Amino acid sequence: MLDKLIKEPWTYYTGAVLIAILNTILFVVIGRPWQITSGFTNWAAWIWRSLGGKPEQWEYFATNPVRAEAMTQGFFTNTLSLMDFGLIIGALLAVLLASQFKFKKVKSYKQVIVALLGGIIMGYGTRISSGCNIGAFFSAIPSLSLSGWVYGIFVFLGAWLGSKILMRFLL
Amino acid sequence: MPQIERSIVPRKKKKDQKPVFLIVLCVVLLLLYIVGSNEQTLGIYLTFGIAFGFILQRSRFCFAAGFRDPVIVGSTSILRAIVIAMVIMTITFSIIQYHSLLQGIPTIPGHIYSIGFHTALGGFLFGVGMVIAGGCATGTLMRIGEGFLMQCIVLIGFLIGTLLGARHFPWWEKNFINEAPSIHLPSYFGWPGSIGLQIGVLMLLFYLLKRYEDKHNIML
Amino acid sequence: MAEIRIDCLYEACPIPLLKAMKKLKKIAVGDVLIIETDHSCAIKNFTEWTQKNNLPCEIVEVDNGEWEIRLIKR
Repeated sequence: MLDKLIKEPWTYYTGAVLIAILNTILFVVIGRPWQITSGFTNWAAWIWRSLGGKPEQWEYFATNPVRAEAMTQGFFTNTLSLMDFGLIIGALLAVLLASQFKFKKVKSYKQVIVALLGGIIMGYGTRISSGCNIGAFFSAIPSLSLSGWVYGIFVFLGAWLGSKILMRFLL
Repeated sequence: MPQIERSIVPRKKKKDQKPVFLIVLCVVLLLLYIVGSNEQTLGIYLTFGIAFGFILQRSRFCFAAGFRDPVIVGSTSILRAIVIAMVIMTITFSIIQYHSLLQGIPTIPGHIYSIGFHTALGGFLFGVGMVIAGGCATGTLMRIGEGFLMQCIVLIGFLIGTLLGARHFPWWEKNFINEAPSIHLPSYFGWPGSIGLQIGVLMLLFYLLKRYEDKHNIML
Repeated sequence: MAEIRIDCLYEACPIPLLKAMKKLKKIAVGDVLIIETDHSCAIKNFTEWTQKNNLPCEIVEVDNGEWEIRLIKR
């Protein structure tokens, strides 16, 4: 019985219902639903600043009060940064509890290039549409924003192309 | 179902990682305490993040797989689960929004964004990127927690991409975002109408996805 | 009855299933296909797909975060 709880995977429906409830509670508690990649942007900006850049002077950060405030904060003092970090921790705790943690190295250089490229493309896409699979889709559709549907349809189309590329070059 | 004979394979010795779990848990609780005593909201965000990560990993919830599997293996199970989540949240989010409206708060809470070329391209790029990278935003974070060093590279890509996007954002704002309309369904269909319509569409989508799965069995 | 192994360690989730599907076409009936994977999502991929195709499937956790998926070709 305990095995089912901590070792065997839960069903997708279980996960979905729990995530839906959690997102709802989050919305009530903090006043806005779940989002991920704005936290990444903060991380990136802080790293850029440590390398000598001045992202706080960019229009993107300077003209928006929330983002401007984020530029004055750090990894452990910014809300979105902590929530994203928490996600990593939560997943880590889950695998450790099930004794399924394993370091998985990179197999080939091809993988590295594809991973990097994929990340860059995703990252850029999230800024122009103000979100990712969570911010612009998972939390947007329930917010009754038509943008979530439009975004979702195009993600699906992109995934179709991505699948073709994957099958052609990586199989 | 016929039994598969197990060949004698030397089993590697599995380590019980529960002690490591406890150590990490203690560190996390300490971190929560430090962060939370600095500012309570920080502790709340961290807690929610941990909860999300735990649930996502336990249910192997991957949005990238959800969008990709219908095409590659004809499976729509994750997508259907996402639809169910959307149905639940449509109801709960609407209540939250309506409640906020009744209190006289001018801006409607939630993620209501403009629709334009930027939405389409942003979505498309995200779709391509997530499939080739092997995970979306949540998937990447989740897999870093599982020990995948590959996803650390994906994250580096994410950092580069979002920074570039932020740099270019004013251009996108000027040319596409500023003129684009934001469509909040209740302003067109009313509250009960919008909720009903969206849930209706989601249910229909669920039915179509189930039909698709039953009909498509891709053996490559 | 031959035993064929596919090493899919360190590979992301669609790859193990895709490689398995490809190999399954080439092996003889009665052969056992063993896929080595360390991707937690891949396990679910396999259980769903083999259930759909009524293929016997056995999943053995051989190490922390490492599984062997055994399929038999009918």
